[in-house]
Amino acid sequence: MSADILETETPQLQRLMLTKPNYVPPLNFSLVEDGIYRSGFPMPVNRPFLEQLNLKTIIYLGDLGAEKPKKKDKKDKKDKDKEKKAKAKENLECADQKRGVNGDSTIDDENEPEAKEHKPKKDKHGTIEILENYKSWILSTDIKFHHLVVQSSQEPFTLNTQEEAQASYVEALNLMLDRRNFPMLIHSNKGKHRVGVLIGIMRKIFQGWCMSGIFEEYEKFAMGKSEYDLEFIELWQPDLVYDPKNIPDFVRL
Amino acid sequence: MAKEAAVDPLDESSRTAVASLSAAPALRIIPPLNFCPVEKQLYRSGQPSLINQSFLEQLNLKTILWLASEEPMEDFLDYCLGNNINIEFVGLINDYSYTNINPWDSLDERTIKKALELICNQDNYPLLVCCGMGRHRTGAVIGCLRRLQGWNLASVSEEYRRFTGARGGRILVELLIESFDVLSVEGDPAKLPEFLR
Repeated sequence: MSADILETETPQLQRLMLTKPNYVPPLNFSLVEDGIYRSGFPMPVNRPFLEQLNLKTIIYLGDLGAEKPKKKDKKDKKDKDKEKKAKAKENLECADQKRGVNGDSTIDDENEPEAKEHKPKKDKHGTIEILENYKSWILSTDIKFHHLVVQSSQEPFTLNTQEEAQASYVEALNLMLDRRNFPMLIHSNKGKHRVGVLIGIMRKIFQGWCMSGIFEEYEKFAMGKSEYDLEFIELWQPDLVYDPKNIPDFVRL
Repeated sequence: MAKEAAVDPLDESSRTAVASLSAAPALRIIPPLNFCPVEKQLYRSGQPSLINQSFLEQLNLKTILWLASEEPMEDFLDYCLGNNINIEFVGLINDYSYTNINPWDSLDERTIKKALELICNQDNYPLLVCCGMGRHRTGAVIGCLRRLQGWNLASVSEEYRRFTGARGGRILVELLIESFDVLSVEGDPAKLPEFLR
């Protein structure tokens, strides 16, 4: 290796490589299109990597921190709708972690919120702390943060009743239709299902990908478990608004 | 499809929305197997076929980096010729050494180095990197590119395995990525794509 360095004719390039720090991209990180990235929940170890992306916008599709009315602040437009449902959905902040630990579990926590309503657990996995820590990091940057609430599962297939999730997806899609928001990172907790649905919808409506191509991409990140996400991608047709001046190049009209 | 519409009074955002989008484009495009954007104007996939033509047109490719040990199909070569796409063959059998004699053999270091030097030259963009299935050979080259970008190895492997299908990643490919000497890559720093600077 040292011999190579001595022999090389263009040492500038090597020196450039040597100065790269050891970047750790977030879980399930990928480029979607020029200006849009996807990933799982960014952790402190990912910050040097994220900082070199020069992000302008971050969209978080998730339910962390959305359960407790006190935690909600003005930033979150979805809060009012959220509060009605908040009671029934208490304690779900831990749902994703549990799903992560036993992905094959036949019991889905989300299906039985009532069962747990009367014994709330206090931030067992430190998720609120992680979220607060994350938000304060974002405040220290110039990144605009959008927290769009989407609960972690769409089971059973409730295409017509998931109003909150649909409103969040519509808002995210409208943000994606404005290239002034780029570069943009869209993340959920694990970068599998919620982001996968959003990107699938984007591939369908913005770019006109065939369904099998969309399903192949979804599966790469979800790795086996899809609930009814694919049906949702195929059937759901939102109404979006955009300004032709600011539309990204990858959108086919 | 897009149609002009009055400004939506319900749209509370500050921007002036003047068009609505409520249906997918009528013409569906079909991405090649294992297609994915890697970086700006850099893509990866398996071997494209005729049905992917309208998809590929969207990418405005200038160069295709062909990594398989066999030549691609005739109609694919015709397509590239007809669209002024330059194909770079890297990794053909007997091209460099006798270590690369079976289609299932991994690429060797010299081949990866040559592929990366093409990727490190902005003049070749927009660029599609592909092999037969877009799994191992493409994965090895993109994996080494990620190391060039300073990614830690665990994240490189995670990405490699995402594209390897149901049979999973090959340990030898991951070993190749791990042991690849990123400092051996040569090129003109002035021609580096932005994401490598």
